[in-house]
Amino acid sequence: MKRTLPIVILIVAVTVFLMFLGLSTGRSAGTVGIASGVALPGFNSSAPNPEQALNNFLLDVQRRNWDRAFSSVERTSDTLNEQAFIQEWVGSNGGLRSFSSLERFDTRPLHATSSEAQMRARLHWSTPVGPVEDVRDFHLAHRGDTWKVIWDETPKPNVPAQIVAVNYLRWDLVTGTAGEEWGAHNVDAPNVRIVSMNAVDSAEGAVVMGEVVNEDTIPAFVNVNATLVDGSGSAIDDENSFDKILHVLLPKQVTPYRIDFPHVSLSKVKNVRMDVKATLVPASSDPVIGVMNQKLETDAQGHSVLHGELLNESGQTVNIPHVIASFYDNSGKVVWVSDGYVEQAMVPQSTESFAVEIPQSVAGKVQNFHVVVNQYSLQES
Amino acid sequence: MTQNESYSRPIPLLAIVLVALAVHGPLLLMQLPSGSFDANFHIFLASHYAHHWFNPWNEKWFAGFSQTAYPPLTHQWIALVSNVAGLKMAYMIVQLVAVLLLPVGVFRFARIWVDERSASYAALGSIFLGALAFLIYQAGQLATITSAALYLNALPYFYEWSTQGSGRALIKGIAVSWAAAAAHHVTLIFGTVLFAGPVLWVICMDALEGRTKGSLAGSVSRAVLFAVLVGGGVGVVLFPYWMTLIQHPIHQIPIPHDSRANFLLNSITAINYFVIPYGALILALPFIVIRGASVRRLRPLLFGFWLTLIFGLGGTTPLPRWLLGRAFEVLTFERFTFWATLMAMPIVGLLAVELLDRFRAKAAVALSLAAVGTVGAALAWLTANPYRPAATVNVNPVIAFLNRDGHDAYRYLTLGFGSELAQVSTYTNASSVDGDYNSARLLPEMTHYGSAQLTNAKFYGSAGMASLRAMLEHANRYGLKYVFVHDSYYEPLLTFVGWRKTETFDNGEITAWSKDDVPPAHRIDSDAIPTAFMGLLWGTLPIGVSVSAIFLVLLLPARQPSRKAIESHREVSEPVRDYVA
Repeated sequence: MKRTLPIVILIVAVTVFLMFLGLSTGRSAGTVGIASGVALPGFNSSAPNPEQALNNFLLDVQRRNWDRAFSSVERTSDTLNEQAFIQEWVGSNGGLRSFSSLERFDTRPLHATSSEAQMRARLHWSTPVGPVEDVRDFHLAHRGDTWKVIWDETPKPNVPAQIVAVNYLRWDLVTGTAGEEWGAHNVDAPNVRIVSMNAVDSAEGAVVMGEVVNEDTIPAFVNVNATLVDGSGSAIDDENSFDKILHVLLPKQVTPYRIDFPHVSLSKVKNVRMDVKATLVPASSDPVIGVMNQKLETDAQGHSVLHGELLNESGQTVNIPHVIASFYDNSGKVVWVSDGYVEQAMVPQSTESFAVEIPQSVAGKVQNFHVVVNQYSLQES
Repeated sequence: MTQNESYSRPIPLLAIVLVALAVHGPLLLMQLPSGSFDANFHIFLASHYAHHWFNPWNEKWFAGFSQTAYPPLTHQWIALVSNVAGLKMAYMIVQLVAVLLLPVGVFRFARIWVDERSASYAALGSIFLGALAFLIYQAGQLATITSAALYLNALPYFYEWSTQGSGRALIKGIAVSWAAAAAHHVTLIFGTVLFAGPVLWVICMDALEGRTKGSLAGSVSRAVLFAVLVGGGVGVVLFPYWMTLIQHPIHQIPIPHDSRANFLLNSITAINYFVIPYGALILALPFIVIRGASVRRLRPLLFGFWLTLIFGLGGTTPLPRWLLGRAFEVLTFERFTFWATLMAMPIVGLLAVELLDRFRAKAAVALSLAAVGTVGAALAWLTANPYRPAATVNVNPVIAFLNRDGHDAYRYLTLGFGSELAQVSTYTNASSVDGDYNSARLLPEMTHYGSAQLTNAKFYGSAGMASLRAMLEHANRYGLKYVFVHDSYYEPLLTFVGWRKTETFDNGEITAWSKDDVPPAHRIDSDAIPTAFMGLLWGTLPIGVSVSAIFLVLLLPARQPSRKAIESHREVSEPVRDYVA
């Protein structure tokens, strides 16, 4: 009996102490994309400084606790309602952002006083097409005993009602038996040719790139495969163009391609065996997406970036635009192929900016560039 | 018998088993666990044994994997029963047997610590545990439950042999322990410390107080002999498993699991992994601690319970991470909560007895409501839980597609199917590059990323999608020609990387995507393919020890002296009234 109280106190004290330690150590990663609750009462982090306030805000956004997140912002206008706030984070019109989950974030102060602060957040999104990084600046203000995020994002205006005339080419495929699989039709494959190929070493490994043209009068579905062969004639690795190519090529259309061989050095490669496979597919030249105002620039972090704008000239929404850019040296050789996805959906007649990065090692050689746009539309899927 | 007399007697064990049958029997006959996370996985493994009993190499997942990576007992029993009941009902029957064995095990385990009456209430309470309902109906952890039930039944033999030197107890204890190991390896490994540790402690206490046959050294020697025989036997019975583990240690990148989260920082996780499994037991926690601390004999049990509870809290405290090291990132912790509730039951049995003695009918009503409320909440949580398994997918069209026109010459992948992946795999002849057992994965496209099943890739964020991209990049290498999508999230990726939608099933719920230039699948060479001898061991020893255990328990009844030894500790049930609320 004499030991009862000490044992009880010991068990309770050690448990509480361990829980306290648990709060101060790192969190285990969890699954993403599920609304995952809030901290239990009494365990919410306060916001005594702008860093903590922004962390709490982004944690609520990450967990999709929209009411809490919205309550921690200060609106600059009454028109900025909660629905617009949510839409800013979850995207709209089936764009890439609407498929994305905020996986993690890093914050750092840019400028801070006792009443105001400017913070920069690097947001790491998980998306269906791979990780997307987004840099965003936040303005915070000290209000009472807490810090608030100033929210002044203006919602995008709605597209006015209009009629868009369409006049585009379309190729349909009529098959004798509906049960036949795609690609197994009794017609000749389209005439597709690799017009250039260049193999280089990069920081991640060997890269094979170039361009493919559809020389036929019918559309083609194209895949480019490459096999690296060593001095003895043995295959070192084989890879394909994956998403670094425009798979559906209209007649006479040219697409760049890039094939990555991670962890392979070109010094071991004697030969590169190229193989292009083409299949006849139905296709349409709509939606037409124009590329405008392209220019090579150096961003604030010193990276070479190709900026530009896309214009959706069609009458249908383009949910996820995908930009593929090929860069040429002064002899017209393809020296690099970059790609990037645009996070916002493009409603009809709207523009969206894009940016694709060029490695420093080739930026100096670039004399010219060419941009093609691939797209995913919910209407077509 | 008057009402008062009925409260003061132990509940017959047969009646408790019948209550278990009445509570869980209908739910299992309704096949409620078929929507759980792991039920389809167990059925899939069982279906392989039903067709290839002596060949553990299964080509249907991961382009080929060895089923020696998972102890086979429950799956082999399902395979046997499936010959008369079909696979799904066989799963339910084996699960029901485990559920019926559990209160028997709890009763026998509780008798080490408390009197028969308290033990009977402990056993009755174990039927209504939220953690049990959680594991059966939400998690589908058949092997964990079966192994725990067998292990609880083995421990009293360990106690009896160590304290009384009963040869029958030794033989039966060893056989049941081997069977427990053949059902689930993790339960045995951790059960040794968490369950057997307190029993060994109490054996030492009994020996020091002269309540055993022979000296302390004698009792400890017998305990060591038991452990050596069990350990050696487990080494032999699961020999192919150990060889697989040695040949291919689990070096994969840790996969996130919410049971490792800090429950204080996430209310949903706290409900899912603490409130639901413990249920009304949360109200009993103060009594468990105070009574466990005040009665000397219960202290080992209290310590074991506390340690297991802390493990069950996952990342809420750093202790599991410190003690387990890298294994912390491999294990999931809901099973520890289940074990903790089992360890608490003897003391909860004492609480029930004290409440019934004091408040009679009122206590009976309150305890009944607490028990039914606990299991009811766990069942209600099946639909309220945001982590619940995805709604059932009608996979029959997918199975039919793969089994016709030579489509099974290629491999396939499902996206957004959740645990239904295993159902597709069970009934199709085709092979998948994906699978639902993390420790069996050997393909680099999966082990190099912190992600589990490809079908659930999006829930693992960038790591999951990177793993999926890697697999799609190597589609030609694996003969991966078909992708079935039940979540439009994945459609942009498939579109951009060169796949084309070819068919839709079930009113557009599922779409089939195909890639044109993929060659037919060929066998992937692997050094993990078990030899024929290993297959023979795997097909005979685990099932053999379980059959032996059944015969030994039935044919070697316990002798009277061993009961006497347990009866001699009745005093521990005498309530210390100061602490009764």
